[in-house]
Amino acid sequence: MKKRARRHRREEGHGRTDMIFRTLGKAELPKLFGVMAAGGKIVAPVEAGRDRENRPVYVFRETARFEEAALSYTTTKLPAKRYFLPYREDLATFRIEGDDWQKLVDYNVDRPRIFFGLHPCDINALNRLDKVLLNGVYPMPYYVAKRKNMFIVGIDCLPQPYCFCRSMGADTALHGFDMFLTDLGDDYFVEILSDTAYNFLRCVRTSEPGEDDHARYMKAVSRKNDKFIAHVDTTDLTKILDMEFQSEVWKQWGDRCLACGTCANVCPTCYCYGVEETVSVDLGSARKTKTLYSCNLLDFAEVAGGHNFRPERHVRLKYRYYHKHRGFVEAYEEPLCVGCGRCGESCLAGITVPEVIASVRGEGA
Amino acid sequence: METGVKFTDISLGRSKERRRDDPNTFEYTYKAEITNIHRLTPKESLYRIQILDPEERIRFTFSPGQFVMLELPGIGEAPFSISSPPSRHGDVELCIRSVGNLTNFLSKVGRGARVGIRGPFGTSFPTWEMHGQNVLLVAGGLGLAPLRTPIAYVQENRSRFGDADIVYGTKDPSQLLFTYQYDMWRADDINLRLIVEKGGPSWDGPVGMITTALDEILAAKPPSYFQKTFAIVCGPPVMFKFVCTMLNEREVPMQKMFVSLERRMHCGMGKCCRCNVGSTYTCLKGPVFDYWTVMNLKEAI
Amino acid sequence: MTDRNAGGTFLGVPLYRPRTAFFELASCEGCQLQVLNNEATLAPFLGLLEIVNFREAMTGGTDDYEIAFVEGSVSRKDEEDLLKEIRGNARVLVALGSCACFGGVNRLKDRFDPDWTRKTVYGEAPVESGRARPLEDLVAVDLKIYGCPVKKEEVEKVVTNIALGKAVVSPKYPVCMECKANENICLFDLGEPCLGPVTRAGCDSWCPNSRAGCWGCRGPAEDANVEQLEKIMQEHGFAQETILDRLECFGGFARFAEAFRRRRREGAE
Repeated sequence: MKKRARRHRREEGHGRTDMIFRTLGKAELPKLFGVMAAGGKIVAPVEAGRDRENRPVYVFRETARFEEAALSYTTTKLPAKRYFLPYREDLATFRIEGDDWQKLVDYNVDRPRIFFGLHPCDINALNRLDKVLLNGVYPMPYYVAKRKNMFIVGIDCLPQPYCFCRSMGADTALHGFDMFLTDLGDDYFVEILSDTAYNFLRCVRTSEPGEDDHARYMKAVSRKNDKFIAHVDTTDLTKILDMEFQSEVWKQWGDRCLACGTCANVCPTCYCYGVEETVSVDLGSARKTKTLYSCNLLDFAEVAGGHNFRPERHVRLKYRYYHKHRGFVEAYEEPLCVGCGRCGESCLAGITVPEVIASVRGEGA
Repeated sequence: METGVKFTDISLGRSKERRRDDPNTFEYTYKAEITNIHRLTPKESLYRIQILDPEERIRFTFSPGQFVMLELPGIGEAPFSISSPPSRHGDVELCIRSVGNLTNFLSKVGRGARVGIRGPFGTSFPTWEMHGQNVLLVAGGLGLAPLRTPIAYVQENRSRFGDADIVYGTKDPSQLLFTYQYDMWRADDINLRLIVEKGGPSWDGPVGMITTALDEILAAKPPSYFQKTFAIVCGPPVMFKFVCTMLNEREVPMQKMFVSLERRMHCGMGKCCRCNVGSTYTCLKGPVFDYWTVMNLKEAI
Repeated sequence: MTDRNAGGTFLGVPLYRPRTAFFELASCEGCQLQVLNNEATLAPFLGLLEIVNFREAMTGGTDDYEIAFVEGSVSRKDEEDLLKEIRGNARVLVALGSCACFGGVNRLKDRFDPDWTRKTVYGEAPVESGRARPLEDLVAVDLKIYGCPVKKEEVEKVVTNIALGKAVVSPKYPVCMECKANENICLFDLGEPCLGPVTRAGCDSWCPNSRAGCWGCRGPAEDANVEQLEKIMQEHGFAQETILDRLECFGGFARFAEAFRRRRREGAE
């Protein structure tokens, strides 16, 4: 059973096998992009505009043009979530036939997609989601179907001041991609994990990496490591969260929280949702729609009849940390957080994970 | 040489036996029919629901304490614990109170209505572990609904249990559920003790809190009883907290007391996170928990 | 009006097809226009109701109705009388749109001296017009459909739910949820003020989708942390007047605006 699952994953290219390394001249990259674009839809980071301080705002979007792909991007405002966990998605539709009905289920994916330029944090986010949605009990077909049709080209990055991926064990991606590019200056160091990726690379000029390429790679890695500013101390964190369950600091964060759900929506690992069923105006059909929800929203834990298990803002905010940094760790030995820093960057109230956890640990302001 | 990314169609690996590791099982709904509706009180009814496909009906097996998701297209879907004996397979009974969209609509449908069922989901009362032991079943209000399945199990396997006691309390006599079954239970040598918080002209039984009735039952038991007893307690958290504390004081181990938690659920399969208590999925690790586990769940009580 | 759903059922349960009336008080009638919008579903939509009184769509009318949709705020005595009469006739009274729910933009006139307003607006032919009030100030309201204007999709959902006997609920969460789902760039990032973080969702972030900040036409979300947003807006460099303009535009945030003014006064003293 286990063996079959492993073989199956290898076929998908998302399992860890022996890694093959190549070097790819930077001038070859547009050609590689072109080869991929000829065969399928590419999603890449692109600049969508400028913010009020004239900094670029990046988003993941379909593009067929290499020049549009902003491969040296910082962090996108939103993860590529809509391609694997759409904000709104029909789980089923119903045809109403008199007093009877027929249920029709569609997983809402009809083609593979190539993700060109995902950072390690976003690849790790998918790997962590896989644990619940793909490999857990009751795999979720809407996710599985999309995930199995993702071809991923990862790319390395330089940590921004808000990045704490290293503390979350998500600064490097070990699996969950097809190909990974590390910038060596004139070349990319390429890690290859799937035969599909290998076949793509045969269409362009690559070479066997030599000793000097290995040295350049190590240098790139240590340059990245030196750049981290934000950190989270995760030592004994599950225990500390239990100890500080009644701590006053939660109340202080709760007072600031807008309960707007933005942190969950920009999070690459938040998967909570709500289901609503609606009937069409002509009463001839109905749909069952899944909407990504946020545990910070008022009615997240409200039951029929009106009882709310978490009526207070700070209790809901606390729950979010409990799920990500305690419950998930207990179940899977890593947090449901990859330290991408998007939630803190998007939070108008300035609530950031490193600050919240430091305060729970009794450190900082 | 072939380049390009091939499309993977996961629906091709569909399992006919609805294995739960098959993603295609996730949104599979058994088409079922409401074969009868028994009005128990103005608010609660017992729905008898039969899976239409005979093969699916037989293959549908569950354990006492598990729940199903009941769906009415366009109206909604919600979890309900099964109130019928496991020996009846996919011909289940659900005791439902009208409180929300789905349940209010259900109160208007008639016999023959077509509904959807997914499941069964969740953990169960470990009835097989209770063989050779006494069972104490304590229910408050609608808590009798999930308890009706273990009661039926005890009835069907009466020789495998020692003392069987039910303590059941409601706010007032009009809220007592399954009154027509009390004589049957007693006939199967199950000791039933009723109590209501507020009596009335038609009520000549005891009036008070459920703990009062329980206290009386426990007082009559020899000390050895508590060493050989399993308890199942269903009702609001404040009630099971009092009851379990009482039992623990008499040295019933916390691991031998079971409670069933009620939470909002949108999926029943550990995905939507709506039912989480602390960081525990009620739908996967529950709804049935032993009291030791519940005590250690943040937010449970 | 078509009668195709008369006597109809859904999953065997009879549909409720109420005798329905539409009325307007002080308003632009834009919400009623919205009700008549969306040609693709208009016929089945109208089939769900038995419309017996709708000045914008039909001639004639009767007082024999079960549900009344009322658009507009109350600013005159005759409107007050009409509203009370409607309340007396209707089993269910629905406030349709921001004016009916909160007083709406009409309420902006309350910022000025009433005599000056009357003279400026009506000149030499003055009309009696007092403060613009939401329906709720005068009669009990059973249901509110928010928005300026209301969204047809939401009205359709409400009417379908009434036919099915389903509860009608608006989202309790703020617009940010829908705005993020629509993958908009946050207006605060673009340097625009926005009430999205505290305004009740359900509009599908209509304005932010067009890069326009939210003006709070649907009123506060439940559990909205308005005071925190006021602080944030000031930190972002928005003037207090800018914040007040937003809070007072549609009336839904009136009590927050009052509190804001009070705090400002106290701070100045």
